[in-house]
Amino acid sequence: MITILTNMLSMCIPFSVALLLASIGEMFNQRAGVFNLGCEGIMAMGAFIGMLIPFSVGGGGPVPQVYNVLGFLAAAAVGAFLGLFFGVVTVTFRAPQGIAGIGLQMFGVGTAGTLFRHFVGGTQSIPGIPDIDIPLLSKIPFLGDVFFSHNGAAYLAYLFIPVAWYILFKTPWGLKVRAVGTNPRAADSMGINVSRTRYESLMLGGALAGLAGAYLSIAQAKMFSDTLISGRGFIAVALVYFGHWHPLQIMGGALLFTFAQTFQTQIQSMGISFPYELAVMLPYVLVIVVLSFTSRNQTTAPTSLGKPFNREMRT
Amino acid sequence: MKKLLTIMLALLIATSLFASGSKESASADSGDGKIKIALIIENTIDDKGWCQAMHDGITQAMEQLPGKIEYNYSEKMAVVDAGSMARQYVAEGYDLIIAHGAQYKNTILEMAEEYPDVSFAFGTSSEIGPENVFTYMPESEETGYINGIIAGTLTKANIVGLVGPVDSGDAARYNRGYVLGVQSVNPDCKILVAHTGSFSDYVKSSEVATSQLSNGADMMTGSSQQAIGALRATAESPTAMWVGQDLAQLTTPEGQAKCIAASSYDYAAVIVSLVDKLENGIKGGECIPMNFNNGGFIFEFNPALEAEWVTPELKAKVEDQIAAFQASAGVLADWASVDYSTL
Repeated sequence: MITILTNMLSMCIPFSVALLLASIGEMFNQRAGVFNLGCEGIMAMGAFIGMLIPFSVGGGGPVPQVYNVLGFLAAAAVGAFLGLFFGVVTVTFRAPQGIAGIGLQMFGVGTAGTLFRHFVGGTQSIPGIPDIDIPLLSKIPFLGDVFFSHNGAAYLAYLFIPVAWYILFKTPWGLKVRAVGTNPRAADSMGINVSRTRYESLMLGGALAGLAGAYLSIAQAKMFSDTLISGRGFIAVALVYFGHWHPLQIMGGALLFTFAQTFQTQIQSMGISFPYELAVMLPYVLVIVVLSFTSRNQTTAPTSLGKPFNREMRT
Repeated sequence: MKKLLTIMLALLIATSLFASGSKESASADSGDGKIKIALIIENTIDDKGWCQAMHDGITQAMEQLPGKIEYNYSEKMAVVDAGSMARQYVAEGYDLIIAHGAQYKNTILEMAEEYPDVSFAFGTSSEIGPENVFTYMPESEETGYINGIIAGTLTKANIVGLVGPVDSGDAARYNRGYVLGVQSVNPDCKILVAHTGSFSDYVKSSEVATSQLSNGADMMTGSSQQAIGALRATAESPTAMWVGQDLAQLTTPEGQAKCIAASSYDYAAVIVSLVDKLENGIKGGECIPMNFNNGGFIFEFNPALEAEWVTPELKAKVEDQIAAFQASAGVLADWASVDYSTL
């Protein structure tokens, strides 16, 4: 039993990273008042670009790790660019954010798939980045497997959580982000450039979504296909609500969701008489249930979420 | 004006991207007397799984029947888009429209009623359709059984894993055949079975495989195109090996290193049979089974791993079983009786 529990917990950290990065990025978007449903599309583009660089160099064979790092950086850059693009549409042109997000999702997934077919071809894999056993710590019974035997990107992603918290709650820029998401008119009257802050948040959010996609293609699945993201971008959006726009709570949500995923896999593999269809639904049902019970606690929600800001208009 | 220019620029970029993508479509030379076949698939022709198997089968049939088949295909067709695509093919005079997946059943049956002079086909299904609809059903419990014999024989941990998509169609048959195969040679072997709930979620497939590997499985298999994700996860294990449901898996780097053997559907035989029927005026109303008995399956060991992993005894056992399947169809008639909760 202990072994099974250790196995389940040890998978939670590496399998939760993509959701975690994407939802932290979405948190920055929403904290600035912009609702970006295009997260899925940005992740798809990040996954493709991230995989393309090591694949182009090694043709699917081993490559120096620097190319995987370049893959991550390129994915972040593409994600930031798509965030900027989304900013043009929703901040400058003030298009409805929900519809624009759906458009970006379709654009990202479609473009990634098309470019993949053009430049790579069929489903391809890469060696990706290996797991790293942290000396001494990885030898600690139970804790070593759960916390200290994962790939480097997973460690960095989790180290970014306190950084995200610090940026959001302890820096002047974080204060601006929260201000433009809560009361942009007041922020504007205080001399904060609302559009610029929203653009910056969207670019940061896009970069993190791009990294999330690249994590899937370089560090987790170590391959790319058109359907690699498979709805994880939307789960990331849900996790932001689940975690009440707070980095630590979002991390908890990502871990809980991933634990539910590994738990349902265990239920199936243990041969317990339980319909697999219900087991597969378990993590999603969990999100809905938790959202239902916590939806009243919306005090942290950005009150101007989804509302375009127009200095010339009173509403 | 600025807004209009930006939108036009974005549309131009998007159009140019997709215009280059459309070059991927294949179109054979047209000519009189040819059977025009169109294929509609939900994934791509190089997914190393379900869709590629049918595409490869049609192109092989074209080689076997030179000059007789004109072929075109449409990839990434969601069920809601398949109808309009099929109508387009009907308008272009195609004789046979194959919608490769049971999810297209309702679309095809509607189209068949609307266009009685055109032949349609979909699978997997064992139903007998209308007079202008063929169905096909791979009896893949046979290939699963062969792979199960290999896995059950080679496992050292006495634990094998199976990553399924959904419990239906040919995947359900393959998976249960695999269980029967393992049990036939190793009744005490623990068989871990889990489904992802999707045919194409490669990440979830890899997560399920990782979970089973961490629980001690050292022989793995998986069905449908998502199995590539599970194979990729198996490649990360220093000890675990793989048996595949598609020969295309042998062409991947991880398949070369980990896949001891693989089987595949030989759709070429189905296509040749369909062309023959169409030429003889039969437009449908039949289900074409696929099994070793009628040449519907191909099985191969991985040449790179055969010497290290396949003992003469194991090879003889596999060959004997294939010979038994070839001699008679329906050997594993009780495949549906497998209950995963009793494993």
